[in-house]
Amino acid sequence: MRIHKRLCGAGLVAATLLAGAAWAVPARAADIVAEWANVKAPAAPEVKPVTADPKTTALLMLDFLQQNCGKRPRCMAEMPAMKKLLDAARAAGATVIYSAFGNVPATDIIKDVAPAANEPLVHADANKFRNPDLEKMLKDKGIKTVITVGTGPSGAVLFTAGGAVLRGYNVIVPVDGIAGDDLYAEQFTAWNLVHATPQFAKLVTLTRSDMIKF
Amino acid sequence: MKLDLSPLIAAIGMIAAAIVIAAPARAADIVDEWASVKAPPAPELKAVTVDPKTTALLMLDFVPKACNAEHNPRCIASLTPVKKLLDEARGHAMLVVYSGYGKFTKNDVLSPVAANESEPFVLGILNKYLHSDLEKILKDKGIQNVITVGTAANGAVLGTASTAAELGFNVIVPVDGISAPDLYAEQYTVWDLTHAPVIASRVTLTKIDMMKF
Repeated sequence: MRIHKRLCGAGLVAATLLAGAAWAVPARAADIVAEWANVKAPAAPEVKPVTADPKTTALLMLDFLQQNCGKRPRCMAEMPAMKKLLDAARAAGATVIYSAFGNVPATDIIKDVAPAANEPLVHADANKFRNPDLEKMLKDKGIKTVITVGTGPSGAVLFTAGGAVLRGYNVIVPVDGIAGDDLYAEQFTAWNLVHATPQFAKLVTLTRSDMIKF
Repeated sequence: MKLDLSPLIAAIGMIAAAIVIAAPARAADIVDEWASVKAPPAPELKAVTVDPKTTALLMLDFVPKACNAEHNPRCIASLTPVKKLLDEARGHAMLVVYSGYGKFTKNDVLSPVAANESEPFVLGILNKYLHSDLEKILKDKGIQNVITVGTAANGAVLGTASTAAELGFNVIVPVDGISAPDLYAEQYTVWDLTHAPVIASRVTLTKIDMMKF
């Protein structure tokens, strides 16, 4: 019996030592691909009404082109709302600037939201601020706030809105104007634009196009 | 005489229904459809061979406010594999560039992965190419590829890796070298870097033990 007790005691000591050793070994960090299935989407962010001063606000119409928007049903479904927003911005005298990727011409912009003769077009890939003309145009006009709509959310919208934040602009993002061909990309874009850094949380307002007043 | 109103009521009902149908319905946006979003499949990780002469290791924001046990424990957990990568890069005489933001200096980089005196340090928020010498530092050394590790995945990593790709660099992102307080942010970052137009064509997703020098 004494021997049994001693053996049990030794077993406990050994188990304790082994457990201690296991704690001491630094566990390799599980990476996101390993944890992919465990990811839960956060709650939807709040959309808020917003008033834009037309004198200091520019509407950025990003890549509403036949080549991408024209092939994306969710983007085409936004056109009535985008036309209404565009009309309201023009009527209020706000600046309107278009973008396209590559060398795609203005004539390829979706007809319902096509640019007027005096509305400029800048060319750049994802982040439209990569083309210095955009920032110059905004500065020349004294713009402090940009409304970013367009497609796709994971490229032009995410990186141009982000580029605007990093340059100190207030950014208004109507969630009914950023559709692509993938809901997941839209979801993250909306979430990240108000969560990426404290600066984003401060400068970005998520809204809907019919909640914007000029 | 009893008046039969049922045809009138039916007609009013039909008119009301027609008005409802004719009213332009607002297209559902992402906030309406939030709960129905499904995550895509995980992207593929690929083995990578690094050319030390033309590749730089970018160590993004391993500073206390961004990388700490309280708010970002996944960053602390990433330090062990990142240290291994750093040792490998230095062992092959690769260019190593650090970043921080705000008032952080090179001396603030966490000690397990601290910067050497000769290793440059740039300041910037999210996109480390903006308002910094990073592009010049890389181009002066003939760098064509960058390995991007750091935190936060959806901030410094996404902003800097995407810009590198737009600038024409090939970008290597080891998933065990990036971190965020939120798994969702890490997930989307790796998805976007491998799916965003133009950017995806220049990004390779890998793990640190899948990289050879």
